[in-house]
Amino acid sequence: MDVLIVEDVHGQRRLLSAVVRKLGHKVHEAQDGLEALSLLAAEPTIRLVISDWMMPGLDGIGLCEAIRAGDFDRYIYFILLTGKTERSATVQGLSVGADDFLNKPVDFQELEVRLKAGCRVVELEQTLDQKNSELQQTLDMLEDDLESAALTQQSLLAEPATIQNIVFDWHFKPSKILGGDMFGYHAIDDENVMFYQLDVAGHGIRSALFSFALNNLLKDVDGASSIVREEGRELSGTPVSPEQVISRLNKRFQTTADSMLYFTMSYGVIHTPTGRVRLCHAGHPPILWLRPKDDTIGELGDAGVPVGMVTNASWCCQQIQLKPGDRLFLYSDGITECENGQQQMFGEQRLKDILKDAWQLPMTTMIGQVWNDLCQWRGSENFDDDMTYLVMEYGDGVSGRSGG
Amino acid sequence: MAFNNRQEAGKTVVGIEDARLDASLSVPFRDYMFDLIANGQNDLVIDLSMVDFMDSSGLGAIVAVFKQLNGEGSVQLAAPQKAVHDLFYLTCMDQIFKIHGSVSEALSS
Repeated sequence: MDVLIVEDVHGQRRLLSAVVRKLGHKVHEAQDGLEALSLLAAEPTIRLVISDWMMPGLDGIGLCEAIRAGDFDRYIYFILLTGKTERSATVQGLSVGADDFLNKPVDFQELEVRLKAGCRVVELEQTLDQKNSELQQTLDMLEDDLESAALTQQSLLAEPATIQNIVFDWHFKPSKILGGDMFGYHAIDDENVMFYQLDVAGHGIRSALFSFALNNLLKDVDGASSIVREEGRELSGTPVSPEQVISRLNKRFQTTADSMLYFTMSYGVIHTPTGRVRLCHAGHPPILWLRPKDDTIGELGDAGVPVGMVTNASWCCQQIQLKPGDRLFLYSDGITECENGQQQMFGEQRLKDILKDAWQLPMTTMIGQVWNDLCQWRGSENFDDDMTYLVMEYGDGVSGRSGG
Repeated sequence: MAFNNRQEAGKTVVGIEDARLDASLSVPFRDYMFDLIANGQNDLVIDLSMVDFMDSSGLGAIVAVFKQLNGEGSVQLAAPQKAVHDLFYLTCMDQIFKIHGSVSEALSS
């Protein structure tokens, strides 16, 4: 270990240096506190200082104070030599941050023992430093990973689109720690469009990966193993009923005692020529049915258990009839459970009020207003959970199709 | 320790001493329950009276307990506060678990 000896009396300094060198250390010497400080700055390998108390210029107490106040990037172990044995020296030394004391004249056996103790502390400190920097590296890597996973999650989302006469748009903001929200919409044939929103329990990579897998599965509308379309004898297949889709997912993805993964979901199929919608809910927040022409907001939430909880669960199907101009608003619980600074939740009523104010406005405007109100409520754009809502509007059905 | 348990009327009553059963507590809670089950204590009543917030992870832990029992024994929930009760209601947990107004009600059932 590199040891710095600070002592103004030449003979004593030489003697101490010889003893310390003999104990196997590399020795640096300074005549007073000021010289010691510049040596410490120039030689970053010095980790231990043995310093006299009384010295001209900067004394031992002053030196110790300067070391503790200075911006050395390492811990420097400080042993103070005291010519006197009175308690005040020790108290003063301790109060400025000395680690240990040696009485003068120095007993060399005692010096050896105290040096050993000092080296132990410095080595511990070094190990700790190294571990810390390793941890920091790992943490940086994990944060990069999380960030790129969040980007992947976003790139998997369906673009806002008009499919047949249904306009789809949404807002999605993943939580900082990555969550398990996912949604999508696809044409099953030229008269049926499916849509869904799901929320995998928990947060983090596990939940997100699971939601990616579900998204891939549900996106597969045309494949032979599609779970949303049945290949019939006719040319185009027929949509699988919503409760059947949920049941199939439930068979496929049973949570285990270890994984604790399950998800809540709403799944629906719109028959676009008529506006008839079949819906199935699996523990997901109710869908809000905005009906400006009737001046009401309906709540569609024919409750069912989340997917993956129990093997023998069953779900039922709800049917509604949309009118042109009607909108469906699907959201995940991050919206209504969003807390403000006073730990109050945003709540469903507040959401409904905003929607009622904005339901006649263009869809993008309505989506923006909901988001503004949420950010205002929260007081920032940092949310604990994924914030997702999906909106669809039923058009008048004359988009290039002749009535049949 | 965030949990405790006691024997009463031949069942194990588990108390949660934390106000939030969320992602940070769900794994310790599951492990605590699994230890009890490994000990042969498989008639369980979870006293939720102290919990004022529970999220999907907390729910996942309770379902994990249910799965771990694998049909041998029972897990009942007692005394949920309103917010927790609402979560059970929204997710239809009442179709899977017996939910009681109080611990004594759960014990006498």
